[in-house]
Amino acid sequence: MKKMIINRLGLLIFVVFGVTLISFLLSHVIPGDPARMMVGQRANEETLQQVRQQLGLDQPLLIQYETYMKGILSGDLGTSIRTQKPVIDDLEAFFPATMELAIIAFIFALVIGIPLGVLAAVKKNSFWDHASRIFSIGGVSTPVFWSGLVIILIFYGYLNWFPANGRLDMNIHPPTHITGLYIVDSLLSGDMVALKSSLHHILLPAIVLSYAQLAVITRQVRASMLEIMEQEYIRTAIANGIHGPFLFFRYALRNALIPTITVVGISFGSLLGGAVVTETIFGWPGMGKYVVDSIAYLDFPAMMGFTLLIAVGYVIINLIVDLTYYVLDPQIKG
Amino acid sequence: MKRKMSVLLIAVMIVALLSACVKNSNAKPSGSSDPKSEAASGKDVLTIATTAEQGTIDPAVTMDNSAWKLTYPAYERLVEYDGGSTKVKPGLAKEWKVSKDGKTWTFTLNEGHKFADGTAVNADAVKKSFERLRKIGKGPSEVFSVISNIKAENPTTVIFTLKENFPPFISTLAANYGSIVNPKVMDHEQNGDLGQNYLATATMGSGPYKLAKWKKGEYVRLDQNKYASKKPSFKKVYFKIVADPSAQRLQLEKGEIDIAEGIPVDQINAVKKIENAKLLQEPSLLVEYVYVNSTKGNKALKNKKVRQALSYAVDYDKLIDAVQQGYGTKMRGPIPKGLWGHDDQAKQYTYDKDKAKALLKEAGASNLSLDLLYSDNKTWWETEALTIQSNLKDIGVKVNLKKVAYATSREMMDKGEFDLALGMWSPDFGDPYAFMNYWYDSKNFGLAGNRAFYKNDAVDQKLRKAATLNDAKQREKLYQEAQNTVIDDAPYILLYQKDFLMPISKGVKGFVYNPMLESMYNLADMSK
Repeated sequence: MKKMIINRLGLLIFVVFGVTLISFLLSHVIPGDPARMMVGQRANEETLQQVRQQLGLDQPLLIQYETYMKGILSGDLGTSIRTQKPVIDDLEAFFPATMELAIIAFIFALVIGIPLGVLAAVKKNSFWDHASRIFSIGGVSTPVFWSGLVIILIFYGYLNWFPANGRLDMNIHPPTHITGLYIVDSLLSGDMVALKSSLHHILLPAIVLSYAQLAVITRQVRASMLEIMEQEYIRTAIANGIHGPFLFFRYALRNALIPTITVVGISFGSLLGGAVVTETIFGWPGMGKYVVDSIAYLDFPAMMGFTLLIAVGYVIINLIVDLTYYVLDPQIKG
Repeated sequence: MKRKMSVLLIAVMIVALLSACVKNSNAKPSGSSDPKSEAASGKDVLTIATTAEQGTIDPAVTMDNSAWKLTYPAYERLVEYDGGSTKVKPGLAKEWKVSKDGKTWTFTLNEGHKFADGTAVNADAVKKSFERLRKIGKGPSEVFSVISNIKAENPTTVIFTLKENFPPFISTLAANYGSIVNPKVMDHEQNGDLGQNYLATATMGSGPYKLAKWKKGEYVRLDQNKYASKKPSFKKVYFKIVADPSAQRLQLEKGEIDIAEGIPVDQINAVKKIENAKLLQEPSLLVEYVYVNSTKGNKALKNKKVRQALSYAVDYDKLIDAVQQGYGTKMRGPIPKGLWGHDDQAKQYTYDKDKAKALLKEAGASNLSLDLLYSDNKTWWETEALTIQSNLKDIGVKVNLKKVAYATSREMMDKGEFDLALGMWSPDFGDPYAFMNYWYDSKNFGLAGNRAFYKNDAVDQKLRKAATLNDAKQREKLYQEAQNTVIDDAPYILLYQKDFLMPISKGVKGFVYNPMLESMYNLADMSK
């Protein structure tokens, strides 16, 4: 197991190298000139050249890449062309919000998705199975921009139970910065006002964001459970008089979870990288909107910083997935 | 099993936490300067919903209107736009005079203006502010490239020497990049950046407000500058990011925001039904037009008759209805209504299919196929492109829609790689120069302004002359003459002036729309 972790971490170096190289090349072959975006439309050639020089865009690609890699090794992801701030500072400002939303959405998806999948498999072809199917088809087929608006309209517009925008009320000071995750920070610092407000704010976007993932997890758990329930060891267990929740959770679910974990891992990754629409609708100050704005502005350093962060995130998630296999199934040895 | 599941969950949480713990050591204690709770609404607070986060707000760097809405009230300029007009009035300068040759501008400063840290604004600060902008050398420096020297004669007198006579100079000083920055910005210099990194998210001006807090991705808060000469009614002004238009509408309805900036024109009629809000509507100087590439595009476009045919082929009224729900004014000549130099009698192309067809026939252009370039930068461009495509189809011209990313479209426009392209323009200063010289002078080919790559020596000559005369009447006459020629040459299809539309709470008073200050607010005069 130790070996596996070391191997994976070693692999990370290649991933970082590959991802930076590809994203660097891609972002530099797109027609479009970031210097142009920066100087405004009416600048003359001289000003333009000056800015290109400042950004190092007049250097050969290879040299630019070398400079960029040197920066990364010293923890410098470059300066954002749009915000004129170090990319690492920008990501630091936006990443915790995205992370927090993804984690809460992920917890919803797991806590509701897995039991629902088990229920659907156990009560196959019953009312519960159909209901769960309709519920999850709804999840995968409802576009987030629609479900998000409907939820805002109901819970903010009519009922006024939840706020529609942001992470915290504007008149509440954020909790002491420890992790950047407001819920965790306010718990750690005992700031109950901030805790209440951040829970209040995160609920609606997390529900909307989790719905699609929840559906996928439910379908996956149901399918694997049905397959496992057909297996001989289960029949043996039943023949030995084991039945009910004990059978499902102790014997069947454990094996059914292995394919599910893969889906879950990918789904967490997509929660991190793909929350743009949810973030936009709920005015959630995460990375999604930052990156979309950066792309429109051809802000290479910001785009590459984000890509790198997500790539590293995926490697870590995959590592966790593999470790989880190991925990669930001792036959798999790293 | 349950235990294992919780182990799994905890593991995920831990990794999440670890990866979020960037620069933990920089953690600041909470509540140091801000009180735990501050009123977010009420008579002395204004909340404006915007759609996007600002980039850098350094007045010497940014060319972006959305950044200007923060900087405009935080800085002062030598001269300011007067209320709703495009003329200027005294600002930091109480008076100014121009030498006969138009090259020497002497400004006398008002005394008593102070930066937000209490330092007095003097001639030296003005000089240093412009020098910093020119040294940084980004977009705004282009506007002031005409300056050859700045001298602080004494604490209240500053003299600008220009390379050539440039009458619009006074208007450029009223624009955002004329903002005077506290010379102490240099205390924040890092690696020779002249304080650019610091000023990207801070303000150091003498305006009625200063930036107090920037919560990334959420809101920006302006507080009063206690040293400012003017005491505004609002103690705090929030610019809150609400990216979704429907959410903005709901929040306006609930009184959570006072002004909604991001409601697109197709949803604007719904605002009229909101009881506590009203819709402000004023003609703006933002114009929509189509560049007809006269030299680098399809060869047929070199022929004036073909270009005129295109101008006759567009059903302008229907287009304004379809694209802007009727909230627009058809253009008459390139200088828009509301800016001096606009000619009420100028020739206006009207929708005339038969005339367009006849012109094409005369020009011998048949089976014409043109590419129409546009991007996703403006939501309405899709409809606009489709409408033009169908209009031109009616006269037998095939239009291929070419939609690309915004940055790519700008690159292609700059190089002239298109036949037709959709564009939008707003003037940086209140002078016909901002339209005529940029659009038609052949030295401005490309993004600089002459995006139709149009060249007419007689026009060049008139425009260049108009740019160096001090007599407004003479200039107006020259522009009128040039205007008649360029309308006839038709290198652009002049579509419409967009209306400025702003949903605002009925309780907010004192807002004055100035077409030169698009998306900026006269916060100091506003109240509830």
